[in-house]
Amino acid sequence: MNPLNERNKSGYGVDMAQSLFLMGNEAIGYGAVRAGAGMACAYPGTPSTEILETTARLEGIHAEWCVNEKVALETAVGASRAGVRTLVTMKHVGLNVAADPLLTLTETGVTGGLVIVSADDPGMNSSQNEQDSRNYAKFAKIPMLEPADSQEAYDFVAEAFALSEEFDTPVLLRSSTRLSHGRGQVVLRAPVEFERREYVKDLSKHLMVPQWARLRNRLVLERLEKLRARAEESPLNVLEEGSIDFGIITSGVVYEYAREAFPEAWFLKLGMSHPLPYKKVAELYEKVSRVAVVEELDAFIEEQVRMLGLPVIGKEAIPADGELDQDIVRSALEPYLSVPPPERRPPVFPPAQRLSDLPPVATLPVRPPVLCAGCKHRSVFAALRRHKVAAMGDIGCYMLGADPPLNALDSSLCMGASIGIMAGFNKALGRKASVAVIGDSTFFHSGITPLISAHYNEADGVVLVLDNRTTAMTGHQGNPGSGLWPDLTEGPAIDIQRLCEGIDVRCVTVDAADYGALEAAIKAEIDAPGLSVLVARAPCALMVREKLGEILVDDERCNLCGLCLDIGCPDIVPHEDTVSITDGCTGCGLCIEVCKRGALSYAGAEDGGAR
Amino acid sequence: MSAATTINAVTTVSLMGVGGQGILLAAAIIAETASAEGLRVKTSEVHGMAQRGGSVRSTVRFGERVFSPVARSADVVIATELLEGHRGLDMLSPGGALVCAVTTCIVPGSVARGEEPYPADLPAAAAARGVRLIAVDAEALAREAGTARAVNVALLGAASTVLAFAEEMWQRGLAAAVPARILEVNQRAFALGREAVGSDDVAQRGGD
Repeated sequence: MNPLNERNKSGYGVDMAQSLFLMGNEAIGYGAVRAGAGMACAYPGTPSTEILETTARLEGIHAEWCVNEKVALETAVGASRAGVRTLVTMKHVGLNVAADPLLTLTETGVTGGLVIVSADDPGMNSSQNEQDSRNYAKFAKIPMLEPADSQEAYDFVAEAFALSEEFDTPVLLRSSTRLSHGRGQVVLRAPVEFERREYVKDLSKHLMVPQWARLRNRLVLERLEKLRARAEESPLNVLEEGSIDFGIITSGVVYEYAREAFPEAWFLKLGMSHPLPYKKVAELYEKVSRVAVVEELDAFIEEQVRMLGLPVIGKEAIPADGELDQDIVRSALEPYLSVPPPERRPPVFPPAQRLSDLPPVATLPVRPPVLCAGCKHRSVFAALRRHKVAAMGDIGCYMLGADPPLNALDSSLCMGASIGIMAGFNKALGRKASVAVIGDSTFFHSGITPLISAHYNEADGVVLVLDNRTTAMTGHQGNPGSGLWPDLTEGPAIDIQRLCEGIDVRCVTVDAADYGALEAAIKAEIDAPGLSVLVARAPCALMVREKLGEILVDDERCNLCGLCLDIGCPDIVPHEDTVSITDGCTGCGLCIEVCKRGALSYAGAEDGGAR
Repeated sequence: MSAATTINAVTTVSLMGVGGQGILLAAAIIAETASAEGLRVKTSEVHGMAQRGGSVRSTVRFGERVFSPVARSADVVIATELLEGHRGLDMLSPGGALVCAVTTCIVPGSVARGEEPYPADLPAAAAARGVRLIAVDAEALAREAGTARAVNVALLGAASTVLAFAEEMWQRGLAAAVPARILEVNQRAFALGREAVGSDDVAQRGGD
């Protein structure tokens, strides 16, 4: 028998003397270790805090306080990519902070399982608002597990990791104050056996530029229906037989209140509350003529039951705010037992959703955007390709370094995520296995906090800040690095080097136009231990629009080896047995630098080489 | 007469080119011209990647009443580059017009690397589709006007022969959309493009 079903009989059918008496949060921490999680990331927040504190006390798992919930999730993404099962914990409002990575993580999925615990605080015992984290499961189209007591909290974590890997999705696990800070007996179980996964570079899964994200998004929508089919079968969702003509659909700790209030009722206890198993709901309606949904905060389940066309007692009786308990539930629902049951028609299940037509297969060459001719930051990618490290990219122009022929990036998730992902990836693998590549404006947007977090947690890595003094991709807006305001007048400008020095992170600044120096600096930083920042500075080629010289091709020396073509400049093209330079060339000279045969030179240069 | 000249119905012009070629400016000129003509106009375009050498599309729709800003098909396609002209054929029905800068070839990376060929014979492809091709050496006209960057507006001059706006309205459209410091050179490019259609400089072929 599945141990998850044992609770429906008498206790767990086990000797409680052998159990630990654990707070729900402790149980989640123990559960993570049992499930083989190797890393836990969090920012503290009541009522979630003790989960990470528990993992920090236990063997076999590395626990980190990250600087905020967004960085915690991004660091966890890095560890997951490295194949490690990873737990991230936060309070409900923290999930707002982590929403940016979450809503794209749903597209990329995971390598090692990734479980996010969000602890809600109905009644605002220690919070500025009440919010129902289940809405994020719907928003992100990912599964939501809701344990009811400490034992389930312990057990469900392993289920969550298994689901995460099987369905290639982050999984949300919702706690709430009375679960997190309540205590109960927990019978510990044997460690979960599973196969540790390996990182494989896969741009179609990890680089969420439009061309790949559109395809991944279709998988997300298909995955949701597969998860719904699983929810129909899952032992986490249990139809419990009753002896009166009354059924209750509920989830989480609220189950305990409702069970105590109506011990004779039928129950559909949803351990996996999203996606909702419609057929299981309909099954309950076959058994009883009156059904109530009992849930804290939003009418999350109720709205979906109503969508099926089924009559239900919901938020007209159960308060839509604050915490519930058995007295509230009993007094709210008792009156409905003495009135005639509502009329009902058979449920109407929603039809399968249609997805948009796939675009026709291109019969003509496609023309993806490319790094501009003369973009000095192309040098960073040219140099980076020589090293066996994964390059965690970010948002903006520099995503273009991922495209052929440069192929110099592994990942892009959301603004500023490169640094957290790098930190988690390297921490999980125990070496400097990746670097981060981020533009200056993105660094100011969301790169500073993960840098602080990485430094505080002694993560290894190199953060390459490609500083072109502007927010280029969106059309050259000002940012704190340039100091330019929207009306193009000058405000204060912030120096990235000094900013890094201020938090004791080693930082070197190099001229991106000096290829030799840049290449040497990248090698030095990758070889050096610890964490450092390398700022490659050169203005955006579109803003300067200068012609530095005319580049000539020596047809005798050129053997079309392809080294210059590999830098991905749109203005070097193969031409018969050699290459030719086309009109858009700015004379930046990177092609001269990478040519090993001296076949390229500036017009008028004596030595035929670079300046 | 081209299908594009009936202004009682909604006319759709699709502009296609490569980032940096001035597609968005050309769209703005058409929109201002249609507006000067007293028509309702809607346009749509995608920003962001527009300066990074990727394919750029802009749609201009005008008429007495326009609802949607987008359309999958067009009455007229204006393509500032030859491959984009080939691409634009997909949007045209028989009787539609393709105004294309046939001497402007910007080779995409996959073609430069020899992975796939640059498409050949636009006149045959247009004829097979029953599309009227107005093939323009817009680069030569733009240089003659004073700047190679005016390919977009030279092409608009050629397109003005199939879009039923009075010349005066085009002038108002140019003045409204083009920055003052480059207005004159663009006016010259427009005039050269307009004159070129039907002259010896331009070969007209296709299913007209």
